[in-house]
Amino acid sequence: MEQVIVNGLYLGAQYALIALGLTLIFALMNVLNFAHGQMYVIGGFLVYEIYGRMHWPFVVALFAAAATLAVIGGLLERFLFRTVIRRSLREESTMLLAAGVAYFLDAAILLLFGEKQHGVPKIVRGVFVSDNLIIPYDRVLVACLAILFIVAFVLMMQFTKPGRAMRAMAQDRVAAQLMGVPVEFYSLVGFALGAMLAGLVGGLLVTITGVNSGIGGPISIKAFTMVMIGGAGVVGGAILGGFILGMLESVGLSVLHSYGDITYLAIFVSLLIFLSIRPNGLMGKPWG
Amino acid sequence: MAPILQVKNLSKAYGGLIAVNDVSFEVERGEILSVIGPNGAGKSTIFKLISSFVKPTRGEVLFEGERISGLAPHIVARKGVVRTFQETTIFKGLTARDSVVVAHHLRSRANLIDYYLNTAAARRDEDEFGRSSDEILEFLGLGEVKNEIAGNLPQGHLRALGIAIGLAANPKVLLLDEPFAGMNHDETRRAIEMTRAVRERGVTLLLVEHDIAAVMRISDRIAVINFGSKIAEGKPAEIQSNDKVIEAYLGVEDESIGI
Amino acid sequence: MRPTAQALFAAVFAFVLLVIVPWAIRVTHHDDFYYTLSSVALLAIASGGVWLTFYIGRINIGQGAYALIGGYASAIFVVKAGLSFWIAMPLAGVVCALVSVAIGLPILRLRGVYFAMVTLVLTEVARLSALALPITNGAMGITEIPPPGPLGLFGFNLLPSFASFANRNQAFYFLCVVMMMLCFAALYRLVNSRVGRLFAALRQNEDLASSMGLNVPALRVLAYAISSFLGGVGGAIFAAIAQSVYPSSFTVADSINFMLNCFLGGLGYVFGPMLGTLVLYFGWDLLFQAGQYQLLIYSGVMIILMLVLPNGLLSLRFSRKKGA
Ligand SMILES: Nc1ncnc2c1ncn2[C@@H]1O[C@H](COP(=O)(O)OP(=O)(O)OP(=O)(O)O)[C@@H](O)[C@H]1O
Ligand SMILES: [Mg+2]
Repeated sequence: MEQVIVNGLYLGAQYALIALGLTLIFALMNVLNFAHGQMYVIGGFLVYEIYGRMHWPFVVALFAAAATLAVIGGLLERFLFRTVIRRSLREESTMLLAAGVAYFLDAAILLLFGEKQHGVPKIVRGVFVSDNLIIPYDRVLVACLAILFIVAFVLMMQFTKPGRAMRAMAQDRVAAQLMGVPVEFYSLVGFALGAMLAGLVGGLLVTITGVNSGIGGPISIKAFTMVMIGGAGVVGGAILGGFILGMLESVGLSVLHSYGDITYLAIFVSLLIFLSIRPNGLMGKPWG
Repeated sequence: MAPILQVKNLSKAYGGLIAVNDVSFEVERGEILSVIGPNGAGKSTIFKLISSFVKPTRGEVLFEGERISGLAPHIVARKGVVRTFQETTIFKGLTARDSVVVAHHLRSRANLIDYYLNTAAARRDEDEFGRSSDEILEFLGLGEVKNEIAGNLPQGHLRALGIAIGLAANPKVLLLDEPFAGMNHDETRRAIEMTRAVRERGVTLLLVEHDIAAVMRISDRIAVINFGSKIAEGKPAEIQSNDKVIEAYLGVEDESIGI
Repeated sequence: MRPTAQALFAAVFAFVLLVIVPWAIRVTHHDDFYYTLSSVALLAIASGGVWLTFYIGRINIGQGAYALIGGYASAIFVVKAGLSFWIAMPLAGVVCALVSVAIGLPILRLRGVYFAMVTLVLTEVARLSALALPITNGAMGITEIPPPGPLGLFGFNLLPSFASFANRNQAFYFLCVVMMMLCFAALYRLVNSRVGRLFAALRQNEDLASSMGLNVPALRVLAYAISSFLGGVGGAIFAAIAQSVYPSSFTVADSINFMLNCFLGGLGYVFGPMLGTLVLYFGWDLLFQAGQYQLLIYSGVMIILMLVLPNGLLSLRFSRKKGA
């Protein structure tokens, strides 16, 4: 029982961080970033190259991954999304673009890093063992780091000027613009930040689960799920959704174990039922 | 004769915020009743409650003596209570004429399969709707622009188109939310005439409007809402000299209601 | 278009697909083209369904689910219940339509990105269900589906059994192309009838539509059911061609591709999905020579197209017309 809860919390912390990046981009620009999972994968591979193969310190590798993705995110916003949003008659067009970007990144990842599963040396060794609990220390560390990043992000959104500006934009883009918020600039910042968060989690988790080029899509779907549970475009919702999904997965894997691989089927079906009762998720604003 | 619309102890709470608080009034057949009040007073919410777009927290609305609260909005529209919207919401991508033709849907006798197969019944409906649309568009001064895409029309025409769409649904009671907003003096004057003419067609009118001067000229009676509650009701002259009303308006914004 | 021009256009189109293309294939000995073009036709049918959901203002990334359900349904009808393919195919469409009504009633209340995400999840649900349910035979899928039998109507023999054709690919090609023309003719009629205008009104403004007395939830579900029917029919024929269906026959990537086909062709035009499917499918095939760079170039071109023509390929024709 304790084991299930601890596993759930561990998963939840990393999921929440994944969902945060996705929800941020959605909140600011109304773009559903299909490429979120691919950004995660790139983060993972960068840490693998820098820490796993070049043997630089893990912190440096993580920092480099985050910075690279921030740059990628910024470039994508500046040169692709901004243009398409301006030229298109329908806002859905950004979805096509996001899907195209996801495919493109997938292809690039495959070319650059190959299709093999890669792992890196553990960042800390040892396992915590008690009567009914077994947790490797590196998982504890990763969960703590994830929570630290989440807290830092929330504090940033609450108390800094860019944070306040982005919250205003998420509330009402036009009103924010009238109030003098440079919305174009903060779209770029937000996109970079969202991509950076994805890369950060990817870089953290490569130390535990490793990375391979095919997991981008499934990660995106998980991220969508969390955002739907919590409510799209709401920071609190993303965090809540992440922890709920982590917990469900952990509980599902232990309870439904004997029925084969149906945890995700059960989760998705419950999600559909949940959404037909609460269309906007737990904390989402009413739509339209 | 019994009132056509009765609003009884209507309340609506959004979470902790009470948008409408125990409001009651009655609308007589064929009259023009205006609901006024400062921004955020709850006027649009009252319209949403009457047209059943939102469910009341308490209270009910009766149309011709029959309860309509809680019915689906399209059913309420079918009974004859039709609402237009505060924002100039029209079918942006359709032409003005197509918008009005679509809005005739309530009158159709043919069903969807008829329409798909374009049977005689469907063609009869189409012809009739087309004629009626042209008539309504002409009546509201939109004859010239009927083949324009609605989204490209100027403000004044959009408001008129909103009313045209409302009329097409063959309402007994038409709820107009700020029909004169964004109009200049001339446009308002013509819109007032238009509104009177709509009443001459036998339609009972309920309107929400900020242009107090226009309201005073057009209304048979006025109900005043402030912070969700009704604070006054009566003929324009009575409202003009009502202390509570003056206070509500002067307290909130510097808008004179003397004409 | 005037009715006569319409009829002429349809006739030329049918002539090209039913006469010219087979002739060209015979002359060039490119028999594999039959299979390619059959696939395009089927994917176009499913994409046409997606297009209709776009038409009522919903982003549908769940058509893969219905294609999969359609494939399984027809396979089960044929293999386990022993029904004729000619009955199983429309029946599979009906099954999909019924499923979509049950699912659509609640989820069509969602809009925008919310609806899009839910439909995406739906594709996963279909795949996972196919893996988990006993009747679908798990990861093994259903294989050795017999080819379509003879088609008879009121005692008349319209078509012999597909097993008796020397060139079965060609037979399937004719089936797929005819089905595609029927489906798009039906769609064209739909959006140009008053029903289509009601759908367009929904897309423009659901609240206003319902205050005009339109039964918005019912119309939404109707459009979605037609859409899913088309997905189911496409999937059913696919299973018949492949003679098998697996949980991975239609995945999230397919759902996304259906959506892309619509976008690329242009959401404003009924025949957009047909063109979009053709271009995307052939583009992908042509890039086969690029080997490992296939996906990179393909997606790169897609992104560039998006930048240059954010409103779809067919918008080219229309914008030129406007300029003239
Ligand atoms: N969906 C909603 N959720 C929460 N609060 C709402 C909602 N709709 C309206 N309100 C609140 O209810 C109050 C009344 O709103 P309403 O739109 O009815 O005012 P109004 O009198 O029409 O104002 P205006 O003159 O500006 O149109 C406002 O405080 C508004 O913020
Ligand atoms: Mg209002």
